Amino acid sequence: MKISKSLLQVIAVAVTVGALQSCTKDDTKPNAIEKIKDKVEKQVNPGYNCPGCGMG
Amino acid sequence: MSKILSSIACNLDPHILLAALPLLEAEKIEAVEWSFDTLFKQQEVPDWFLALIKEFSDQNRLIGHGVFFSLFSGKWSAEQQNWLRRLEVLAKEFSFDHITEHFGFMTGEDFHKGAPISIPYTATTLALGQDRLKRIQAACLCPVGLENLAFSYSIDEVKRHGEFLNRLVESVNGFIILDLHNLYCQIHNFDIGFEEIMALYPLHRVREVHISGGSWQDSLIVPGEKIRRDTHDDAVPNEVFALLEHSISQCPNLKYVVLEQLGSGLLTAESRSLFQQDFLHMDQIIRSSNQISSQPANPFLPPAKSLIEAFPLENERLHAQQVQLSDILETAANFDAAQTMLQSSDLAHSEWEVEKWDPRMLETALAIAQKWKHGFR
Repeated sequence: MKISKSLLQVIAVAVTVGALQSCTKDDTKPNAIEKIKDKVEKQVNPGYNCPGCGMG
Repeated sequence: MSKILSSIACNLDPHILLAALPLLEAEKIEAVEWSFDTLFKQQEVPDWFLALIKEFSDQNRLIGHGVFFSLFSGKWSAEQQNWLRRLEVLAKEFSFDHITEHFGFMTGEDFHKGAPISIPYTATTLALGQDRLKRIQAACLCPVGLENLAFSYSIDEVKRHGEFLNRLVESVNGFIILDLHNLYCQIHNFDIGFEEIMALYPLHRVREVHISGGSWQDSLIVPGEKIRRDTHDDAVPNEVFALLEHSISQCPNLKYVVLEQLGSGLLTAESRSLFQQDFLHMDQIIRSSNQISSQPANPFLPPAKSLIEAFPLENERLHAQQVQLSDILETAANFDAAQTMLQSSDLAHSEWEVEKWDPRMLETALAIAQKWKHGFR
């Protein structure tokens, strides 16, 4: 199914930041950048990464 | 059979979305299954994720898959009432082609924690399940279905699961999700043939099929034995693709085939590449089948009239048994301790038939319940 290119670009940026943030924590980053990254991470990776099942 | 749509489980997880992006860009994904209730506790959902879901919704290519309703809990809870309220609101915002839930009840004191565990197949649980399905359908006003469970306590339960599912969903003109990896678990764990187990399911009611990967667990009580578990953290085994090839022609009302994988299994570029290859393999099998299909599928529309009791059905005895079982599964130090606790519980010599439970499966139930007792972390 066709999805608009602009939306796919936004998703690409958001999930790249989210994936990096959920894999690595860099304590040396300035606070302002950390806060932005934290916000993105909380939005993208709420802690319920289950596709619905997989609890077997 | 109408055209079958190649779909993925699409949730707010960066690793799942990263894996799916190349497939979305190539316009390969024809529908998405969203576990909407995993975000009920989320304060803020990004606009772009909702926009993605809306794109599929606008083209009638969105299906909803609940996780936390706990269909067979013996006691009706405020959380279930709230779940229905949230679903009702979502169903006005998004166009779900159907809504599904899992079989079983959730272990754990907290409604949003635990793992789905099976229940005895009795008139009491049948009535309870039918009551809950009617309430879900009244909230979403679209077709409703249930997924077969990977876990069973005994071979007898394996053999009765399909018919019990059929009796449950027929009350709402509903359908079933046939999870082929769950069948693969049962084929291995209970040494039953594919054709034999398929014959036990109402295949005319299959509207959706799931495929996924899983893992092997060594049995401690039967050395050398391996239990197959539905953990969704690895690529799809060839055996499951073979089951898909053999299933499609037997399910005349199949509309969606969904590839599921946990984000935690997609942390590396290699695992995401395998996910994409699995999707394309699945798509190729579906396309081959679509070429030979022609008949329109059953839409499983809600009945014109559905009688719902003013108050949700409850069963105190079942609730008390479920609380005891959850506690045993989550706290027993080992298999022997769990068996001792079961024998002195209300489940002993009851319709739960704990005396017939396969020891390897009790061991597995302990592992499942203790893995998920704190929810997703």
